[in-house]
Amino acid sequence: MTRLTDLPPAMATRLAELECPDFATQPWVSGPPLNERRVAIVSSAGLVVRGEMPFRGRDPDCRVIPGETPPDRLLLSHISINFDRTGFQEDWNVVFPLDRLNELAAERIIGSAAQTHYSFMGATDPVLMEPHAREVAGRLKSDRVDAVILSPV
Amino acid sequence: MSALGHYLEEEGIATVAISLVRPQTEKTKPPRALWVPFELGRPFGPPGDPVFQKRVILAALRLLERAGGPVLIEDFPDDDPRARPDSAWHPPMVAAKLEREIGSLHDAHRRWVAERGRTTVGLSGLSIEECGGTIAAWLRGEVPESPRDGVSAPLLLRFAVDDVKAYYLEAAAAGAARPSSRQLGDWFWERTAAGAALHALRAACLASEDERLKLIAGNFIVPALRVQNPG
Repeated sequence: MTRLTDLPPAMATRLAELECPDFATQPWVSGPPLNERRVAIVSSAGLVVRGEMPFRGRDPDCRVIPGETPPDRLLLSHISINFDRTGFQEDWNVVFPLDRLNELAAERIIGSAAQTHYSFMGATDPVLMEPHAREVAGRLKSDRVDAVILSPV
Repeated sequence: MSALGHYLEEEGIATVAISLVRPQTEKTKPPRALWVPFELGRPFGPPGDPVFQKRVILAALRLLERAGGPVLIEDFPDDDPRARPDSAWHPPMVAAKLEREIGSLHDAHRRWVAERGRTTVGLSGLSIEECGGTIAAWLRGEVPESPRDGVSAPLLLRFAVDDVKAYYLEAAAAGAARPSSRQLGDWFWERTAAGAALHALRAACLASEDERLKLIAGNFIVPALRVQNPG
């Protein structure tokens, strides 16, 4: 469990005290009911489709994950060794819940799943990721996505 | 992660973040976040449990329909059921390594017997290979039958464990040097496949439903001084 009390003290302190961006604005976008939304996954797990360049250290850009990617094509290249990978090894939905998203779409609980999903490297300075995140926003809008679930590791 | 939400939301796309480290989320103040009490690396919880995973993702997505933001942080109420240990699991390799390691100590043990004229191996009545095989079988989740009248399978296991310990510690003390008991214990419990096997055997037996086996596992396999993660 990621209750800080369950982690080694030094790690808990580092995680709790990690410097985080202090934004001047607090954006809030509303939208239609869930069953009309088109949902994409944006992960910070350093996910990469097999054969493409893994994240090298703290690359600030993103990798594209097409919606038809099969589970055996998705790898995890996050730089940190301090999180569990066995869950992802057994079932990619633990990190990248594409099957669940497709099921929710089939059940008409969400409107649809996006054509394309994205991954960043979560250990990167968020300030360096900003231009890439804004570029991803443009791509998401081209795909008519109006809801994103952000998934860390 | 929450910073990405901020950027995407500024661009006009609604977001909800899964949060694994709540203090970080509280500092970054994303528009919406669902804190989950799962270990790092498992943002959607247990592998192989679509029903639970769907509850998580839906709890997050439902925040998109809520008013009251910006900065809406909710807690998912349930722990990951796969965080609990499974007593049916047995570590691979440990049993095979034990059996190989026993063979590799034959020469040293023969030397001990030649030097001292005796051995304390023999409680089980099994050969040392059979002792290793008995422990290996239990580690694989099997319950080998006891070939001795009046000696139950768990009791035979206890004797086999004692014989393996004696065999190793005698083999280790062969030669002119006079290692301390601490040196020998450190070696056996921390650096041999047998030590690892007995730690694993203790853990597996303690998770058993068999009260007699639990008693043996708790008291007669690993000395209190050497028990890992007590409690």
